This record gives sequence, C-alpha cells and structure tokens, in this order.
Amino acid sequence: MALEIPKTSYSGKIREIRLGKGDKSITVGGETAYPFYLFEGGIPNLPKIAMEVYDSPPEEWPEAALEPFAGVTDDPVAWAKKCINDYGAEIICLQLISTDPNGLDRGADEAAEVVKRVADAIDIPLIVWGCSNEEKDTEVLRKVSEVCQGKNLIIGPVGEGDHKKIGASAIGYHHTVIASTPIDVNLAKQLNILLGNLGVPDDSLIMDTTVSSIGYGIEYCYSVMERARMAGLTQQDEKLQFPVICNIGKEVWKAKEVKIAEKEDPKLGDARKRGILMEAISAMILLLAGADVLIMRHPEAIKLVQEMIAELTAE
Amino acid sequence: MLLIGENVNIMSETIGPALRGRNPKPIQELARAETEAGVDYLDLNIGPARKAGDELMTWVVNTVQEVTDLPLSLDTTNPAAMEAGLKVHKGRALINSISLQPERLEPELPLVKKYDADMIGLLWGTEGMPRDAAERCVLVVDLVYRANQLGIPNRDIWIDPILTPASGEINQVKACFEFMSMLNDIAPECKSVVGLSNISNGTPTHLRPYLNRSCMIMLMKYGLYSAIVDAFDSELIKIARGEMPEIVKLVHRVMDGEKPNLSSLSQKEAEYVKTVRVLTGEALYSHSWLEI
Repeated sequence: MALEIPKTSYSGKIREIRLGKGDKSITVGGETAYPFYLFEGGIPNLPKIAMEVYDSPPEEWPEAALEPFAGVTDDPVAWAKKCINDYGAEIICLQLISTDPNGLDRGADEAAEVVKRVADAIDIPLIVWGCSNEEKDTEVLRKVSEVCQGKNLIIGPVGEGDHKKIGASAIGYHHTVIASTPIDVNLAKQLNILLGNLGVPDDSLIMDTTVSSIGYGIEYCYSVMERARMAGLTQQDEKLQFPVICNIGKEVWKAKEVKIAEKEDPKLGDARKRGILMEAISAMILLLAGADVLIMRHPEAIKLVQEMIAELTAE
Repeated sequence: MLLIGENVNIMSETIGPALRGRNPKPIQELARAETEAGVDYLDLNIGPARKAGDELMTWVVNTVQEVTDLPLSLDTTNPAAMEAGLKVHKGRALINSISLQPERLEPELPLVKKYDADMIGLLWGTEGMPRDAAERCVLVVDLVYRANQLGIPNRDIWIDPILTPASGEINQVKACFEFMSMLNDIAPECKSVVGLSNISNGTPTHLRPYLNRSCMIMLMKYGLYSAIVDAFDSELIKIARGEMPEIVKLVHRVMDGEKPNLSSLSQKEAEYVKTVRVLTGEALYSHSWLEI
C-alpha cells in the first residue's frame, strides 16, 4: 500500500489586506495553509519586510546598525529614501521614538509634521509606530491620522486602552490599524473583536501579538502566533484571520548580545556579524510562526531573510 | 449533586477582616444566607493561616455552627488548624484538602480516620500541577493507595482533579474533563469535587456565572459528585437540583458532537452552547465569547 502523507485540513483563510495606496501598494495575508506549507495550501502573497526609519537620531545603536545609514540618521526623509534607493525597501516603518514622554517628549503636531514629510516623499506603504505610551500615542497617532488623511498609513500600536480613540480616527481618515496585545492569544482575539465592534473594517486591521529577540522569550511569541494561526486556519476563528506584523528589528538591536564589543568578550565573536545574524534568525523564526510583515533594521539581515523566503517558496 | 458554598473565604473583602478581627456578625450572616440559598456544605476558607491558625479555625467553626446545621468543609493548608477545626466540628466534616505533598499528606491523612471525616484528595503532586490526564491518573492511584493503607475507604475520598481557568491554557481544562471521564474506572467508589469558580478566574465578574454553570453541566456528564460553588448563583443551584433538564440535555448533546443552529435557539440556550464550545476548545476564549 502506498504511503499517504497526512494533510492538515484547513477550513479558514487569512484575510488579504492592502497596505499603502497606488501602484506601490502591497497586499499581505491570504494564506490558506500554515507558514510555507506549500504542499498543503497557498501563500498568494509572500511575507514582506519593512525597513525602519527613526524620527530622531538613534542614541544607543551599536556601530553595526548605524553604519548602513551613515549621514542620514538625522533626517527621516533622507533615511527613508536611502532605504528605498540603496536597499530596495518595499515598505517603510517610521518609529516615532521622539514622542516618548520619558525621552524627548516631542509634541503631536511636530511628530505628525515629520510623518507627513516622510509620507509625501515616498510612494511605498508607510507604517507609523508610536512610543507605546497609551496617552501619548492617542494624542500623536490621532494627529498623524488627520494630517495624513487618505494615505492609508498603517498605524499603531493600538492596545485595549487606546483602541477607541485611535481606532475611531483611523476609521475616519482611512488608515490601517495595528492591533497590539501582550503575548496572549485570548487578548489578541478580544482586541480584534473590540476593534471590529468599533467599526474598523476587516481589511484594515493587522495584528501585533508582541515579539522579542532570540534569547528573550521568542518561543512564547512563537507559540501565540502559532496558536492564532491554528485558530484562524483550522477552527474558522474569524477574529484571528488577520495578517500579523512583527516589530522585531528594535527588539534585537537593544539586546546586550548585539551590543558587546568583540574585545570585551572575544568568545562572542565579530559584533557586526553577530548582530546581523541575531536579527536574521529572530526574523526567520517569526516567519515560521506566521509573520506577514517584518519590521527590520540591518540591510544584510534583511537580505538573508529574503533569501530564505525565496528558497522556502521556490517551485 | 452536592454543593459546597464557597463564600466564607479569607480573600473576601468583608470576610477577611471579620476573620482576622474575630467579628462573628458578617460571617454568621453570610453562613445563614448560604444555608438559605440551599447548598449542602459550607466551605470555610481561612487560607494558609500560619499564625494562630488553630485558634482561628476553632473560632470560625464554632461561630458558623451557631447559625447553621450544615456540615462544613474545612479549607486550610495548615495541618494544626485543620485538626483544631475537626475537634470542634459536630457531625462529619470534610477535609479540604489533602494533596500528595508530604507536608500535607503525612500530618493530615491520619486525621481522616481519627475524626471520622471525609477528605478531598487534591491531585497536586510533589512536582506541582499535573500536566495532563495521564499525570492526574498517576497521582490519583498514589493518593488512593496511601489513603487505603491507613484504612480510609475509597468512598470517603473526594478527588479534586484541579480545574483551571478557561481564559488560560484550554488544554488543561480538556485534560481535567478527560480525567473525569476515567476516574470511576481508576478509582471505583471515589467521589469527586471541583473548585468550580476556578474555571472563570480571569473572566470579567459579570460573565463568570456563564462559564461556571456550563462547566458544571459538562462535568455532570462525567458523574461529578460535588462542587464548591458560589452559593448565590441561583441558576447554578437550579441546575444542580435537576430543575433545568432541557439545558443539561442540550449541553450534553453538544458535547456529543451535535452542532445546533444558534439562530434556532433561545438566547439562553445559545449562551450555553457558545460557552460549551469555548470549554471544549472548539472556539478560542475571549472576554466577548458570548457576543460572537
């Protein structure tokens, strides 16, 4: 008797959502099988990588992370253009680090002005990521929504505490919402329900179930993403059939393992290579858990991940 | 089904201070109200009671016995407090609980015979919480063997398989159900008991009864003997008293695989069905599970 390879039976499909607008818009999601299970179903849209741009010069980045962006780190527009022109970025993620009340505490108007300048200067999708302070993000992201009306930004993080106000302005000005929850599949589902009740259209929501670097609990993040995908694909759980976005670059590059110089601890080896590999491997793990969009930093790490995506999906 | 009222509990905002201050009034009022609500036992949970636990348990047992004739479930992790309570308890008490941890098992198991009590056998091992149904089976065999060696018959042992919150890892809830379906074969004549409200820990307060009631009905399918419950959930008490047979049948049919069309059901029926789907793991829990 011939061996019959068991197949998962899928009853659901991840929603397709369109990021950005116009010719350079990008569609993500649409999977009908577990990540890269091409033998069981389809991946109509390959996972995409967004390149990070910061709205103020980074202060504690290791040399390896700064070097590719030398000369543009004080200008978000130039930085974004460099990502596109030199590194082929398909999506930009503007990290609004300067708005953090524990840091520069830059005001909403000023932050929104920077977002507007970047949005006007590029024609690829733009993700705008706040400082993860609910009160401040509410103020800033509402303003960003307003001044960038019609640009279909992807804005977040939107949590349970600020989902009503940020969600309402995203609905009003037609942006996509990043639903963020702290590594808990039940809370992820709940926030999607709440945003749906608020009126966020199903094609304007992407989930962030929270990620961390290898060595910092990535296995928990993996389990939650995996569980969400199982519910969406095999249990017809409509509230978990959304694409997933992972803000992984900044998690990796703040780890002490990428910051220690080789001469401080020679057994850790070359610092540059170490940081790039740590970012690439963290990102690859998240891809295997179901990531649809990865927000990454180092061009070489991005290249490694793109190669893996190409290999895993080769005919 | 026997119901054990859970409400006299040191964690309560009114009962905690009353216990610590030896103020009988709130405790007696609550015990009287629980008795009127129609439960069969009252649980007296004084917590770990490390300091003067024996004196506290003596006091609370006497205080409660002044206003009710119901038997009591003495709930503490302090063996000295347990024995003190048993000494003054009239009639047959329930020891809540004895686990396989040596510091609980060794001092408390002899008390069951000495005071002619029933015992709750908590399936908590030396390595903590059992991970699945098989580990529960191993623990129950050990626990019953140890009890039998001291001459405690199976019928005096009420096994608590440990129910965990639906808002957490649902496979643990499923493991508890699976174990309950096997208990009678593994430990014939042993009784069973669950801390029912555990299932809804972490769920918004106003929604907790939905999980508690559905979970109890599901466990009834496996012959649940008793449950520690909120004495003031009147619908729950009606279910346990056999006054809602249609709902019980509906829940059991859904457990057997029937998929009723929600739109053909009454709102109450639909709520039960949705809750069962969460508790079986068919639908993933979220706080809004009744609304979708």
